[in-house]
Amino acid sequence: MPTSRRSLAVAAVAALVLPLSACGSGGGGGSSDASGKVEGDITFQTWNLRANFKPYFEDLIADFEEKYPGTHVKWIDQPAEGYADKISADAAGGTLADVVNVSPDLAAPLAQAGLALDLDKAAGQYKKEYLEAAWASQQVPGLDGTYAFPWYLNTGPLFYNKSLFEKAGLDAGEPPATYDELFDTALQLARKTDGEVATLANVPTIEDFGRYGVPLMNDEGTAFAFDDAKGVELLTRYKELYDAGGLDSQALTATPESSGKKFLTGAVAMNPGSALDLANFKKQAPGLYENIGITDQITSTGHVNMYVMGLLVNSRSERKPAAVAFARFVTDAAHQMSFAKQVAVFPSSAGSLDDAYFTEEDGTDETRVRVAAAKSLKTAVNYTPVLFSEQMKTELRNEVAKALQGKQSPEEALDNAVKACDRLLKQQG
Amino acid sequence: MASSTVSSGTRRVRRQLPTSPWLFAAPGLLVAGAFILYPFVSTLVNSFTDRRTLVPGEFVGLANFRELLHDDMFWIGLRNSTLYVLGVVPALVLLPLLLAMLVQKTIPGITFFRSAFYTPVVASIVVVGLIWVWLLDERGLVNAVLETIGVGRIGFLSDQWLILLSAMAVTVWKGLGYYMIIYLAALANVPRELHEAAAVDGAGALRRFFTVTVPAVRSTMVLVAALASVAAFKVFSEVYLMAGPDGGPAGEDTTLVMLVQRTGTGLTGRVGYASAISVVVFVVTLVLMLLVLRADRKEES
Repeated sequence: MPTSRRSLAVAAVAALVLPLSACGSGGGGGSSDASGKVEGDITFQTWNLRANFKPYFEDLIADFEEKYPGTHVKWIDQPAEGYADKISADAAGGTLADVVNVSPDLAAPLAQAGLALDLDKAAGQYKKEYLEAAWASQQVPGLDGTYAFPWYLNTGPLFYNKSLFEKAGLDAGEPPATYDELFDTALQLARKTDGEVATLANVPTIEDFGRYGVPLMNDEGTAFAFDDAKGVELLTRYKELYDAGGLDSQALTATPESSGKKFLTGAVAMNPGSALDLANFKKQAPGLYENIGITDQITSTGHVNMYVMGLLVNSRSERKPAAVAFARFVTDAAHQMSFAKQVAVFPSSAGSLDDAYFTEEDGTDETRVRVAAAKSLKTAVNYTPVLFSEQMKTELRNEVAKALQGKQSPEEALDNAVKACDRLLKQQG
Repeated sequence: MASSTVSSGTRRVRRQLPTSPWLFAAPGLLVAGAFILYPFVSTLVNSFTDRRTLVPGEFVGLANFRELLHDDMFWIGLRNSTLYVLGVVPALVLLPLLLAMLVQKTIPGITFFRSAFYTPVVASIVVVGLIWVWLLDERGLVNAVLETIGVGRIGFLSDQWLILLSAMAVTVWKGLGYYMIIYLAALANVPRELHEAAAVDGAGALRRFFTVTVPAVRSTMVLVAALASVAAFKVFSEVYLMAGPDGGPAGEDTTLVMLVQRTGTGLTGRVGYASAISVVVFVVTLVLMLLVLRADRKEES
């Protein structure tokens, strides 16, 4: 009897301790050697693509498996919300997929933890197949190397409600393009409607500071710098707007979803979005759809903000040759082009943006938006600092909120935000 | 009772398989060990490290707890979680009792009301939370009504205190039915003779409530207070839905559990620091429980 009780106790202790040790293992990246035969089972993690583009990816995977017999790709998709949490849980648990869809700010912590394959070393020969800026956007300050294949690019248009513009006596054909014009428009809208109609539903983000011409980080990328005179100027103008009712009263607690809804109901006049939103407007707010205006993002620098998607290869993958081959297969010029035609996003492969599809208008709204966006993409900048983490976004939003409420001056707010972000940056190491 | 069969059965099992009690308990023990004990111990261990999501981290002693003392957000979280307990618990101890007395009577159609009051308990907190967000929106139903009757719009979801109050209201509304059921069970045990005797002695309804009903359900009230205060201190969903992921304007509505979620999750999450906050939450809830039980014992003696 004592023996069996002891063995049970040992089993129980083992059951408790084993997962503990599993968590502690890891650290240090795998090798960056990806040569060898392309074969085996790999997993492919995408970000909110299954709902709308299932057939495209099924065909893509079938083509790949046909081209490289002996490979099998398992496709996993995760909705937009909670994506970072899913990736971090996978990464911490050692179950990260072989090929992962990431944005540069998601790739950075993974690369710092040694979980991303350095593609300069493992796949440098393919570099010339991509736009130079797109390849560079997958690099992480403080680390040598490039950690993801550039995939699709997007700028995201700015939608506006023409009837609200007209009601306020504004020219709906001439939407604001710079921040100065935006503030004038917003103040007039608020004045003419007695504060009933706000122009924007969100507080300024780090990208807004970028497009206003505020330097976001120092040249070395070691500290934040958006608290300079220009940044203070932008925040001061936003405060003016908030006080006048040009910013929605619930802007301080807004999320992209909630501000989208405000735009749908006509409570705010302008809202950033993506080409996918048009179908949504048509279905959910036909009245708005008839009055929808589409324009470029507001920018005072002449450059719009570009969102860059990439495909990261897991450095601990047991099937690196297959993973690299698949990531390149998905992001090569032909597949990026066919994907862009499906999704209204833009390819990052060299030369693709010169295709007639992106340069010639046929008179419809759709092509007009596409051609305009492709044109602005050529000079677009990814303003989101690669090292700007979720926690930093929260710090910035909270300090901005305090400034808008008048609890502290714009100078103090930005000083505090920069200090907090620098501290977080140091902790990330 | 068929005691002979039971005891002979026990003897037989004991003779053949001495560890069988352990075997029967094993599934439960394993589940409790894997999902309660292990996470608890690992949180405790993590709270003394600077572990991050993707970096194992090193032992840093009490550094996390020292940092807490100087972290404004932590104090905001502690303040809000404490306010939540103070705001929600009295309401959740009293209102469900009144509600239970109301639906205790056996009159036709009362089952409908009992079920109706219980519905919010069954509903998903996210769904009802979103419904309340729509209702309380600047242009929601509640504000439309307020405007029609001439009160004017109220920024339920833009003022930091109103957001907290709105979230408390949802918590109370959602908890009413749950605690009502507990009280219904307790009320069924109050002897009717006591009420009758009190009535004969000339006690009015109010008097009977305080001298008969309340003493009879007092231990249930303590139980409800304990359950409600622990739940209130750990509040997350209601405030997260009403105040947004940042915890209201400038984060002023952040509760401690929201702070744990915000600091500890994501690719750059500070697991060690978030664990330290969790440990504080644990200690405070433990103290809350002890306080409630102690208050009960004191009153008894």
